[in-house]
Amino acid sequence: MTSDRTAPQRAVTAAVAGVGTSLFGKQPDLHPSQLVWRAVDEALRDAGVAPADLDAVYVGTVFGAPGVAQRALHAMGITSMPIITVENACASGTTALHEAVTAVELGRFHTVLAVGVEKMTDQFAGAIHPESTDIEGRTGLALPSLYAMAATRYQALYGVTDEDLASVAVKNHAHAVHNDRAQYRTPHTVEEVLASRMVADPLTLMQCCPIADGAAAAVVRPHRSGTEEVVVRSSVLRSGGLWDQRCAHVWGYELIRDTATAAFDLAGVGPTDLDVVECHDAFTIGEIVTTEAIGLAPEGQGAGLLRSGHTALGGPQPVNPSGGLLSRGHPLGATGLAQTAEITWQLRGEAGGRQVDGARLGLVETMGGGVAGVDGNACVMVVLERTTGVRA
Amino acid sequence: MTTTPDPRPPVLPLDGTTRLAGTRCAECGLPSLWDPPRCAGCGGRMRRDTFGPDGTVWSSTVVRVPVPGRTPPYALAYVDLDDGPRVLAHVVAGDGVTVRLPPGTRVRLTTSTDDGDVAVQPIEETAS
Repeated sequence: MTSDRTAPQRAVTAAVAGVGTSLFGKQPDLHPSQLVWRAVDEALRDAGVAPADLDAVYVGTVFGAPGVAQRALHAMGITSMPIITVENACASGTTALHEAVTAVELGRFHTVLAVGVEKMTDQFAGAIHPESTDIEGRTGLALPSLYAMAATRYQALYGVTDEDLASVAVKNHAHAVHNDRAQYRTPHTVEEVLASRMVADPLTLMQCCPIADGAAAAVVRPHRSGTEEVVVRSSVLRSGGLWDQRCAHVWGYELIRDTATAAFDLAGVGPTDLDVVECHDAFTIGEIVTTEAIGLAPEGQGAGLLRSGHTALGGPQPVNPSGGLLSRGHPLGATGLAQTAEITWQLRGEAGGRQVDGARLGLVETMGGGVAGVDGNACVMVVLERTTGVRA
Repeated sequence: MTTTPDPRPPVLPLDGTTRLAGTRCAECGLPSLWDPPRCAGCGGRMRRDTFGPDGTVWSSTVVRVPVPGRTPPYALAYVDLDDGPRVLAHVVAGDGVTVRLPPGTRVRLTTSTDDGDVAVQPIEETAS
């Protein structure tokens, strides 16, 4: 592949010094604080940082109780500093990371903890309830049906087949066999995925990410020039434009495309330079649309990446080596930081049986949605790179 | 799972047809299902307008999982109303079969569902 590298528009100043996660899955017996403790303790140990070294905390959660972070953090001695909770639907955790990175880059804070948490089994038995203050939520558009609309459109316009859709789940479940923190670690065939019960035509149950309980965290601090570590080449957060009768693209496409363009321009890289990607595969069609929107395939040809093995482990640009949301589970506020942990482990060569050989440049992408009339509540993309340790 | 006030656009019987009540920008003509203080496209003043009854299916699905207050399965479609907004509607099929409508299908607004939802049905093609 030819490289898309150009001059970055900014100097690298922030590094991901440590990451940590809880286990993911249905964990009804665990208190939300226990999930947070496991993730934060691991991230602090990984970074070699004590609670007293932290200057601020950014928290991502959607359904967390008021004070969910302070309730957990005070018990491990993280007190007496700004603790700021943000919500951006499924992108809440990545929004917390983005704010932590921005705070470090601008010098507002020096050492910052980003943490995401969601305890979903306390609130839902199945799909998240549609929001009744929203026109489309009130009309009964559960989230799987929003993605199903995109899938129907792709089937009609681009000839995407049911088997193409299922192959996203097959690929990501195969990856998750090697991820001992994932909710589902069993391989499945296309036939099994298609035989699971229909949720919203054409998406079957195994094409929908499971609700999960979990937490994930990252410690962000200034990059230490001349050291080998994972640095933030760029981080971009956008909300969607109007998604109405003038929009020819499926929901989310334009927001993901525009966020990717901005993130790549800032970093001075392009899609062909990526070694590994963690993206928002909340539903199978989501990965197909996202891989197109970030530029791994032309519009309408994302399914080809699955047919050729391009985005499978062993292929040139593996997507969702962790198993993605489809296998790891999707504790909303935790997901973006779980993706960040995965890319960080990949870039350090610590991903075990799912390691992408020689991965040096990775992308985290999270898409949060649900508001009628816009192309997404928020999309966050973070380009991470392992530095060589040579002083620039 | 309900709240007041209902955010869905009012469905109006008008001159023997069914239309949706909304607003349209007096300056750029952009339609809206809300009654916002300014146009989302150009910032212009919004005036009351009605939309429909005919439109084209942009995409469609059938919801088969439980949603609070509803009984699955039910068919939904995004419909681009002619010279109007894209609206999410329930698909009411005369034969009681719940299926997706292919993108491009011509549909017409009909009386709202028992749950108060905007509803459409496919326009029967008649030989002319």
